[in-house]
Amino acid sequence: MNPIPLQPGCRIADHDVSRRAFLSQSLAVGSGALLGTSGALHALDEDSLNLTLKKTGRSVILLWLAGGSSQLETWDPKPGRPTGGPYATIPTSIPGIHISELMPKMAQRMHKISVVRSLNTKDGGHGTGAELMLRGRKNEAAIDYPDMGAVFAKELGRANSRVPGYVSFYSQSEGRGNTRKTSAFLGAEFAPMNLDEGMMPPNITRLDDISGLDHRERAELREILSARFASKYDSDSVRSHAAAYARVQGLMSSEKLFDIEQEPQAIRDKYGPTRFAQQALMARRMVEEGVPFVRVARAWWDSHGQNFETHAEMVPELDHVMATLLDDLEQRGMLDSTLVVAMGEFGRTPKINASLGRDHFASAWSTAMFGCGIQHGAVFGKTDEDGNTVVEDEVGAGEIFATVLRAMGVNPHSEYQVGARPIPLVNPGIRAISPLLA
Amino acid sequence: MSTLPNKIEETKKVSRQDMAFCLSRRPETEQVVFGSSDAQLYELNLAGEKPEAVAFEGEGHSSYITGLARSGKGNFLISGSYDRRLIWWNAGTRTRVREIKDAHAKWIRKVVASPDGTLIASVADDMVCRLWNAETGKLVRELKGHDLETPHHYPSMLFTCAFSPDGELLATADKTGHIVIWKVTDGSMVKALEAPTMYTWDPKARRHSIGGVRALAFSPDGSQLTAGGIGKIGNIDHLGGKARLRTFAWEKGETLAEMESDEVKGMVTRIHYHPEGKWLLALGGDHKGLAMIVDTTANKIVTETRTPANHAHDFVFNESADRIYVAGHNHVTVHDLRTA
Repeated sequence: MNPIPLQPGCRIADHDVSRRAFLSQSLAVGSGALLGTSGALHALDEDSLNLTLKKTGRSVILLWLAGGSSQLETWDPKPGRPTGGPYATIPTSIPGIHISELMPKMAQRMHKISVVRSLNTKDGGHGTGAELMLRGRKNEAAIDYPDMGAVFAKELGRANSRVPGYVSFYSQSEGRGNTRKTSAFLGAEFAPMNLDEGMMPPNITRLDDISGLDHRERAELREILSARFASKYDSDSVRSHAAAYARVQGLMSSEKLFDIEQEPQAIRDKYGPTRFAQQALMARRMVEEGVPFVRVARAWWDSHGQNFETHAEMVPELDHVMATLLDDLEQRGMLDSTLVVAMGEFGRTPKINASLGRDHFASAWSTAMFGCGIQHGAVFGKTDEDGNTVVEDEVGAGEIFATVLRAMGVNPHSEYQVGARPIPLVNPGIRAISPLLA
Repeated sequence: MSTLPNKIEETKKVSRQDMAFCLSRRPETEQVVFGSSDAQLYELNLAGEKPEAVAFEGEGHSSYITGLARSGKGNFLISGSYDRRLIWWNAGTRTRVREIKDAHAKWIRKVVASPDGTLIASVADDMVCRLWNAETGKLVRELKGHDLETPHHYPSMLFTCAFSPDGELLATADKTGHIVIWKVTDGSMVKALEAPTMYTWDPKARRHSIGGVRALAFSPDGSQLTAGGIGKIGNIDHLGGKARLRTFAWEKGETLAEMESDEVKGMVTRIHYHPEGKWLLALGGDHKGLAMIVDTTANKIVTETRTPANHAHDFVFNESADRIYVAGHNHVTVHDLRTA
């Protein structure tokens, strides 16, 4: 463990909502809004109040490295070892810490990020690994858990927001299905807006043959009918769908949010021409407009053959996108309110196969994060000299999930009430990785 | 062996923990030198009952050694590595002579000697081919004609090169299937050819690429050029595409034949024509090794088979072209070519 706390990423004083202002706003809209959820059983104790205050105006960008990127070609290289592969390592801005030569830009910014090198998630399946990492635990036979995006859409979303709570870019088709079950018992309101084919939601613009008046009247009619239906058949599901419809209507009036042409060309050029880069820019744009959770999937890292060439192609792109996003958020003063997490469903085997590939590996791999609530310049955990096992500070998917929640000001131990059953946000006994928290 | 062989029989295998990427044979002997994934050069006398690999001495490379060539007088072995360096070695004493630290800005993929052994060509992912004086190590010329990026804005790779038999021409080939033929004496571009089927870009499912032209060889009369690789691949997670060869009548810019294996999948990594030009042998693999023999008069694959050993990265003939010495994943092997 090499935690090198340089400066905390986020402080209460940094936020533009004071406790007094927050309380007065919250009281005006009712206690449901104060709690942030209608179902969460947050006690109104000091800790919960502090966390609730902290999470105001915060967002998460998840860079989902689908298929499983190699920790050895990114954050935890093993140069000179039989497992190390051909890449050299480079020093970073943290003395004594080296990462792959494929990441020179992040190496320069290492003092601004945190890396976990000791993940043992014990699941080397694409679907089950994705389920685990996105939820912090496995679904049970009797219950599906909401994924990270749905939880943050609920916990960080603003009442009456006109922007979606959860946007997911997943342009490649491989592995997309592994990310589709999302909001579970939280309801459709917190399901993602999936942008698979482009960056603009389909059918967002009003049809030419429908006038503005017609459009408004249709919406009013739908609201009347919905209210009538809800008065007879009220349920969480009905309310959730109504809220989702209302949000769609809001989206139709925020067409420009999804239009990357609105960004200055100089900014677009900084991010670069690849789709992943442009979607990362869109994520920043959305966060800036108040979207609580954006997932940008970059598939597909599953390099069973020619691992080193695949990573030669994809890691420089990841390095550039992460560095540009970090700089952009920092320059806009958004780094203190935006958490960026880069992870996939697992890492890759230290053993190099005969196709010069690496296979699935969940026993000792890495993830990186920076921004809101996260320590600057911390490298947590350690693997052995060949990268086969974790030898220090082993953590699992639950700890990562809890850390992200805590960093965003969400109490991981708060609960949702599902029927008669209280469901904690993380499994009992799971704790956030405190050395990573600012 | 001038008759067309149809059988490749493994006669000796030296198992290794490392990967042997390139290999050079001392003429008229069973002695080979190979470059390893452990960044060492090893000498191996394959005439022995239990050949022992002897490492070269002195400070060497720091990454995979992927190219190895022998100078004309046989005094020097020149190695190239993913560490971007070229190192000249005394072939007799196995000691280091000189190093060119920044021979290239990115991974060196292949190092070959001109037929008379006076020039060394190196290609690397900086997309430059450099010609070096084989004796002095002086840079003679740079050949620049390959794009740095693929059409999809990712770094390209310059995998291979081959001299023509008269040494006047040099062909280079990259990831996208772009092949350039250069005049060695002045560095001018003589011809550009394309082998696009060897590059697989997956725009939909996985959004990255795989493949490229991995092997080149001129026919002994210099009129034809054969490129080897893999493609098209459905699932680019694996080397699951058909092994592929394309033969050009290069002066006309014509493709004479595109040959893909029906039997074996994987990537062709090395091609050698028989000295009389009647057939050629291509080796490579996915997890396992593959071999294809092509009747070059008919431009037809006549033998396609798995080899007992893993993926083969490089091979050389003996003088009579009835024996090959192979460097591969976890092995160095000897195979005899026979006609059943």
